[in-house]
Amino acid sequence: MTRRTPWKYVALAALGSAVALSACAPSSGGDSGGGGDKGKTTLTVWSWRVEDEAAYNKIFDVYEKSHKDVTVDFKPFKSTEYNKILATGLSGSDGPDVPQVRSYGQVQATIASGALVPLDGKVDLTGWDENVLASAKGKEDGKLYSVPLAQQATVMYYNKGLFEKNGLKAPTTWDEFMAANKKLKDAGVVPIAVGAKDDWTLPIVHEIIGAATFGGTDFQKAVQSGDKSFTDPQWVASVKLLKDLEPYMPKSVAGVASTDAQTLFSAEKAAMYPGGSFDLAVLQKANPKMQIGVFEVPPAAGAPSGAQPTTAGWADGNFAVSKKSKHQEQALELVKWMSTKEFGQMVADEVKQISAVPGVENKDEILQQIADNYEKHGSPYLLLTDFRYGTPTGTDLLGKGIQEMLLGKKDAAAVSKDLDTGVKTWFKPGA
Amino acid sequence: MRRRSGLLFVAPALILFGVFVLYPMVTAFSYAFYHWQGTTRGGFAGFEHFTTLFTRAPFKTDMPRALLHNVLFFLGTMAFQNTIGLTVALMLHRRARTRRMLQTLYAMPYLVSPIVIGYLWTLLLSPTFGPVNQLLTKIGLESWALPWLGDPDTALWVVILVSVWQWIGFPVLLYGAALGGVPEELNEAARVDGASHRQAFFRITLPLLVPAIGTVSVLTFIFAMEAFALPYAFGGSTGNPAGATDFISLLFYRTAFDSGAANAIGTSSAMATLLFIIIFGGALAATAVLRRHERRITG
Repeated sequence: MTRRTPWKYVALAALGSAVALSACAPSSGGDSGGGGDKGKTTLTVWSWRVEDEAAYNKIFDVYEKSHKDVTVDFKPFKSTEYNKILATGLSGSDGPDVPQVRSYGQVQATIASGALVPLDGKVDLTGWDENVLASAKGKEDGKLYSVPLAQQATVMYYNKGLFEKNGLKAPTTWDEFMAANKKLKDAGVVPIAVGAKDDWTLPIVHEIIGAATFGGTDFQKAVQSGDKSFTDPQWVASVKLLKDLEPYMPKSVAGVASTDAQTLFSAEKAAMYPGGSFDLAVLQKANPKMQIGVFEVPPAAGAPSGAQPTTAGWADGNFAVSKKSKHQEQALELVKWMSTKEFGQMVADEVKQISAVPGVENKDEILQQIADNYEKHGSPYLLLTDFRYGTPTGTDLLGKGIQEMLLGKKDAAAVSKDLDTGVKTWFKPGA
Repeated sequence: MRRRSGLLFVAPALILFGVFVLYPMVTAFSYAFYHWQGTTRGGFAGFEHFTTLFTRAPFKTDMPRALLHNVLFFLGTMAFQNTIGLTVALMLHRRARTRRMLQTLYAMPYLVSPIVIGYLWTLLLSPTFGPVNQLLTKIGLESWALPWLGDPDTALWVVILVSVWQWIGFPVLLYGAALGGVPEELNEAARVDGASHRQAFFRITLPLLVPAIGTVSVLTFIFAMEAFALPYAFGGSTGNPAGATDFISLLFYRTAFDSGAANAIGTSSAMATLLFIIIFGGALAATAVLRRHERRITG
């Protein structure tokens, strides 16, 4: 018979694993228009919002009209690839002048690599929401590194038609909320559309349902100073609420994808959908005829006295100035403009997001209501704003924990304990 | 002279391999030994990142679990895909007329991207809209209508079985080719000597298929250790639900691109290096065993 060389297996194995290994080595790529012709400067702006390209081009056209010497080249990349592309772009010579960067803990690696220009004393953001500003700061040095673009918030959406049909209105007390759940379920409607298969949605659901119970901003301060931790009874009680509400979620909720949950709501088979302000456009498009309302979930029985319903928020889509930019002055000028009301208003009108610039009006009534709610009784989306500065992140831990709770593998106390132990591998209170 | 011209012909491929595979591989290997601040390289770290993988949360718990899932994926694929594949190949071998067409049909699913396959099966198995559970309920098997992808006890097996379904054509093709290479005289001689079908298969055909089985096993091992697209399509980068479909590549992806940790490059490169050593070591060990086996039958 033929003789076979075993080395072919070795070569095969080496080749196969080499492909896996080389996947993590950065390569050079992405060239920017760079350089200017006829004395005009081209500023390259990078973003992960491919879907907003037209809106941004419209916005930057306005800027170009008042800044005749500048052309803005808006270059969006696929969101899931963006972190990799940006890391490469910022370390090479062909990167962006003004990159869109992540916020809070997710931008720290970029700041630590020294790729961004500190903006303190150059951009004036006095009067901005503290929680929004925290998204743009370096954890180590406390300096400002970007201008926040949008304000996101957690929202309980509800189907006004379905509520009316069942003689219900937006609940103002926990008892009313539970009574509504029961009535809807009896009428054959899924009360709350949750998609627990996607763990990232669960900390948002927890924030919507439990924030008033664990105490929003007060709890944040107590955790930061070390007075309280995630094993606090109020926090545990807030996590348990999700288990209590499980009968009012879709059947086998741990197998339901978040897109399924959205579809249930859009198809008017579910009456409430806990999500983010970023979901609104999608919901409106999916079923334009449906009357959507929003409400803040009231504090549950056993919440601290005087507990207020709250809307949790965070900032994202921040823009920064790259240290490698050859047009520092012009790039700074553009980022400065992004902190003005003129820009903020266009973000609200064209990109259809709640602008991070204070005092901007939203044309969409629901969006404006969400913005008002946040302004009146806003709190931080704690696990995102404060607990993504290390691994494991707070959102990952709680998401996975709630899944385990819904599957009956852990109780609320154990989930909270795991969260506490997990974040304390890198989080030092009072620091 | 001949050597030199030979080198000339190999050069283009060698250069491409060097620049796009070898060089990134070696650099990634070196990255694992340095401290990182984002993309800026800091001081020499020695084996610190490797110890981190075994001593610090979440790696301490996530890595062994993910590795176990890779191993189960390999075993499951060997047990189902390769045995069923061999059976199908044997059956097709005996029907010369329809073989080509059936081989193509069996290979069809792997022309579709694993991401799409994962998405389609997610829809089919959805507990709210999925036809699979609706069908089970209709035929009276309501207790079987499980949240297949939502229950950690079933989710991993769904991933494995869907992968088997998708790749079944691969062993069918390889074994089909190997069967074609088994001399018909040997089987005929055995039959003349009074061997049954069974005996002929186990004493003649199977031993001659060992080299093919070796190739399929090593390829399956590499495939299982690198599993990414299908688990990602089913459970996202965090291996939903509750980490039940987590794999090493997903953990690597999370660490490298999702964590935002300043030292992400260091830790993830250490993980990639470790994965490389596991795959390379596993493949070497398998080769050694196979080589001995082959010598025994051919020598």
